[in-house]
Amino acid sequence: MIEIDGVSQVFQTSARQDHLALSNISLTIEDGAFVSILGPSGCGKSTLLYIVGGFVRPTAGVASMKGRAITGPGPDRGPVFQEFALFPWKSVLGNVMYGPRQQGIKRPDAEAQSRALIEMVGLKGFEDFYPKELSGGMKQRVALARTLAYHPEVLLMDEPFGALDAHTRTRLQNDLLNIWERDRKTVLFVTHSVEEAVFLSDKVVMMTRSPGRVREIIDIDLPRPRHRTELLLDPRYQKYIVEIERMFDDSGDDELR
Amino acid sequence: MNGRAITSDALLGMIPIVLLVAIWQALISFGYAPITLLPPPGQVFSRMVQQLLTTSFQQEIAATLFRLFTGFSIAVILGVAIGLAAAVNPTINTVVRPIVRVLAPLPKVALYPALLLLVGFGHESKILLVTFDALFPILLATYHGASTVEQKLIWSAMAAGTPPREVLFKVVLPAAAPSILTGCRIGLVISCIVVFLAEMITSTDGLGHALVTAARTFQAVDMFVPLITISLVGLILNGLLELTRSYLLRGFPEA
Repeated sequence: MIEIDGVSQVFQTSARQDHLALSNISLTIEDGAFVSILGPSGCGKSTLLYIVGGFVRPTAGVASMKGRAITGPGPDRGPVFQEFALFPWKSVLGNVMYGPRQQGIKRPDAEAQSRALIEMVGLKGFEDFYPKELSGGMKQRVALARTLAYHPEVLLMDEPFGALDAHTRTRLQNDLLNIWERDRKTVLFVTHSVEEAVFLSDKVVMMTRSPGRVREIIDIDLPRPRHRTELLLDPRYQKYIVEIERMFDDSGDDELR
Repeated sequence: MNGRAITSDALLGMIPIVLLVAIWQALISFGYAPITLLPPPGQVFSRMVQQLLTTSFQQEIAATLFRLFTGFSIAVILGVAIGLAAAVNPTINTVVRPIVRVLAPLPKVALYPALLLLVGFGHESKILLVTFDALFPILLATYHGASTVEQKLIWSAMAAGTPPREVLFKVVLPAAAPSILTGCRIGLVISCIVVFLAEMITSTDGLGHALVTAARTFQAVDMFVPLITISLVGLILNGLLELTRSYLLRGFPEA
């Protein structure tokens, strides 16, 4: 269980003025839940994710995991970034093997596990390719495999499909759900797409724009496993989307699409 | 790039060189320069082949190469070490920055007389001068590369379990490799120039010394041989560095 308790974040702007990015956020994320953080750009949703990741220290408040305060990054929380952040000097296999090797797993075992993961994300045959030789969608598959390889308890996904075209994005959303169905890891998923949030999540945390506050938490009560084509015809799915979009319309957050 | 494209590129690149040799020959053929002062290229090249086979000339090349390599290697080690340290440690950066700013624009060859007095006429003074001159471009390129490493690469490594003290060698150094190698390339060209220059100023051996000795005794042909030899040495070394570079950076875009 992840608990975020009264977290605020203040940044200094280049003009040396204080900018309040997150204001008094409190949130509980249950084990095994797929939770999306939805908000307009600049609402601090990525910052919240970085705080849970231990990459950024909150100015006030505490984020904790399993009752222990988060003080730094750790292999129990695996990030997947929009920019992929793959190591350009390593091959696909080298990137995926990085985590297991850091965890002290012997090379042959690490390699076997990594090859299996690469196959699972649909990239069999690309083990020896370098990231620069792959498309955006393939890079993000590698990044996901690299993170899954060290068995984090929580996946921290920072607009992971934001840089991809619509078609690739849809495919990756489906594949992510299929992978998630197998072991139901806790997922914290940052996005600015209402459809993406509703399609993937058990719970959608809506945030307000600057300073970022929790505006509303909506439980998404849709059956799993979810299939896009079925959901698109499902009135409940449509209702969630319309409901959330209306809420953002009310607040004048027109940038949210 | 396929094999044929490389060959045609190489042929295109040969054109200016051939042109230069043709102009050189034309200056002599049309009587603009007396043959005793400017020997024809054919004579210089045949003399060079002849010289390359003699032990005494090979020793001159060896002396120059030894100084070049040693000076350049020390510059690479120091430049990368100091550059990395300054990029990751603010205190070291504060200490290093002013002295780099003072020394970087200084014409290092001005230190050569002092070096000669301090360490003598042997290898050491030349090696030190090469190191001094090649150090700064490598140091500055390393610092720049290491301080602009994408934060999320470091985060990804730390989340995978890399301890903070290992991030330097596991992420920062490889991520800065393109910058570092660009710095090395500049440093290598400077090293070639400087070692030759130092040998010309004061030395008892080396290619630069061979050139000055020939010039002083009006042996025009022997004057041109070391000159062409050092450019060939530079060409070969740069080619080797380029091979190393494309191997080390095989995963990087636009390398």
